Amino acid sequence: MLLKRYIPIGIVAFFGALTLSAWFIDNETIETFANDDATQFFDIIAAFAVFLGALNLLKLQFIKVLKQQSGWQYSAVAIASFFFAFIIGFFIRGAYFVGEEVYFSQGAAEEAILALGSSEQIVPVDWGAHVQTDGSLFQWMFKYIFSPLSATMFALLAFFVASASFRAFRARNLEASLLLVAGIIIMLGRVPVGSLISSWVIMYIIAFSVGFAVNAYTRNRNMALGWVLGSFGLITGLGFTMGWPVDQPAIFYLPALQEWIYLVPNLAGSRAILIGIGLGIVATSLRYIFGLEKSYLGE
Amino acid sequence: MNNKYQVYAGGIVGILLLTFALSSLPDSLNFFREEKSAMFAFTLTVIMIMLYEVRLAKNSSEKTFLRTIPGLKAVEEAVGRSTEMGRPILYVPGIMDMNEVETVAGVVVLGHVANMTAQYETELDVPVARAIVMQSARQVAKEAYMTQGRPEMYNEDMVHYVTDDQFAYAAAVNGIMQRDEPAACLYMGKFFAESLLFAETGNSIGAIQIAGTGSQTQIPFFVTACDYTLMGEEFFAASAYLSEEPELIAGITAQDIIKVLLIGFIMLSIISRAFFDLGLTDFNLITWLNL
Repeated sequence: MLLKRYIPIGIVAFFGALTLSAWFIDNETIETFANDDATQFFDIIAAFAVFLGALNLLKLQFIKVLKQQSGWQYSAVAIASFFFAFIIGFFIRGAYFVGEEVYFSQGAAEEAILALGSSEQIVPVDWGAHVQTDGSLFQWMFKYIFSPLSATMFALLAFFVASASFRAFRARNLEASLLLVAGIIIMLGRVPVGSLISSWVIMYIIAFSVGFAVNAYTRNRNMALGWVLGSFGLITGLGFTMGWPVDQPAIFYLPALQEWIYLVPNLAGSRAILIGIGLGIVATSLRYIFGLEKSYLGE
Repeated sequence: MNNKYQVYAGGIVGILLLTFALSSLPDSLNFFREEKSAMFAFTLTVIMIMLYEVRLAKNSSEKTFLRTIPGLKAVEEAVGRSTEMGRPILYVPGIMDMNEVETVAGVVVLGHVANMTAQYETELDVPVARAIVMQSARQVAKEAYMTQGRPEMYNEDMVHYVTDDQFAYAAAVNGIMQRDEPAACLYMGKFFAESLLFAETGNSIGAIQIAGTGSQTQIPFFVTACDYTLMGEEFFAASAYLSEEPELIAGITAQDIIKVLLIGFIMLSIISRAFFDLGLTDFNLITWLNL
């Protein structure tokens, strides 16, 4: 009980309170602890924990290959990739410099010196620095295998955004319809063609849409027709009076409208969520510091 | 009830006096960061309200009302669905380490989910992106299975490490989804761009999906692609909600009281700023508080 409960809670409470107090107390020792030392402790623990992670990964992948479970071929690739990265990271330094030129191996560098009759010395890059130096096998792997694969995964987002938007923008109910309209306004208002669309066109579209809604709601065609004709007449009259300026009235001009949607309702909503998140984080942290929340100990 | 608010009012006045006293200390004694006085007073107020609410909850036999959070109600439904279909549950505790509150909250919720999977005898799969998270999640899951009296069902490898890299992790989790076709996918923790990759893949395999995150930028993606989403504070309240422990629920009550105080403070600041901008007063609350 003491080891599994009170000591961990005590450690969390002490270091939590110490880190919190560093924010208010003007003391270099406490500040250094909170900003540097504590994060370094964490990094050291994380570095050791990676061994456990790597062993667990290898164990599971080996079991999969040995038992030929579904998708074992991928596990074989994972194991091969792991050892490839491990060997080229720890045992093959690469990046042998002869002047400005760089070679993967010492042999290749010597051959180059002989072929060119150069008097340059071979200067290998330092261990550790080789993982970030052009000409090392590790850097080659990073540039030509790892980065393209990561970029491929990232690029998938474009397609997923399209499919998610398609589902989100289906006008199933009032909220989804509002989202659809707001989405269209934002999209059109943020591209150059949006500024070419006159606010008068938008007014006609709105008047027509309202007429459509009136018809759907009242089932009275005459009333809807009356609304459309009346509002069209009013807009046209107003247009002639004002001289049809593209960006007036500003409230119907797409770039201005999207800016308003983005900066007012959107920002208000996101700030409300942000305040909630902030309060949630504060309350959760305090629950840990005061030992009220013990679930992370498995209780 | 009135007594409670009298305690709060008295406490806040006390905290303000303490803050003024600390700010007024002579320079030779001044260890207090004066410029953070407002934050100091706010933090102490939060602590006071929280501790007092916890004390009230401990001494009260009344059950605190909690509004229904559909996403949390759906967790049990998701576990039940997986059991009926005989397919596993995939639980993703985000991609960050234990130094993020959201990851800790995600691991805590994992404990509750593991309780349910132990009860229902459902397979649980937890791929993680950090080795420390793996150790914590294992401990939490193990305790949950022990609590439910099903230690034989606990398998250490149900929580397994994949990789630290964001997109490699996303690729691995998507692969697991495609191969194992879990009936339910739960995403609880801190997420970045991979959120939509997970949620859309989960959607494509027809899994019931529940997400919870405090990552503001990822909430729209989860809302779009998941069946239920715990937004921000709902996610942090999940543990209290699922555990039904009065002490933890008291934390949520305290949070709500602080929210009301904040709303009042924001209104006051707006009025003060408006008066200042109109030239009616020389006093601006926001500037005065160094915010």
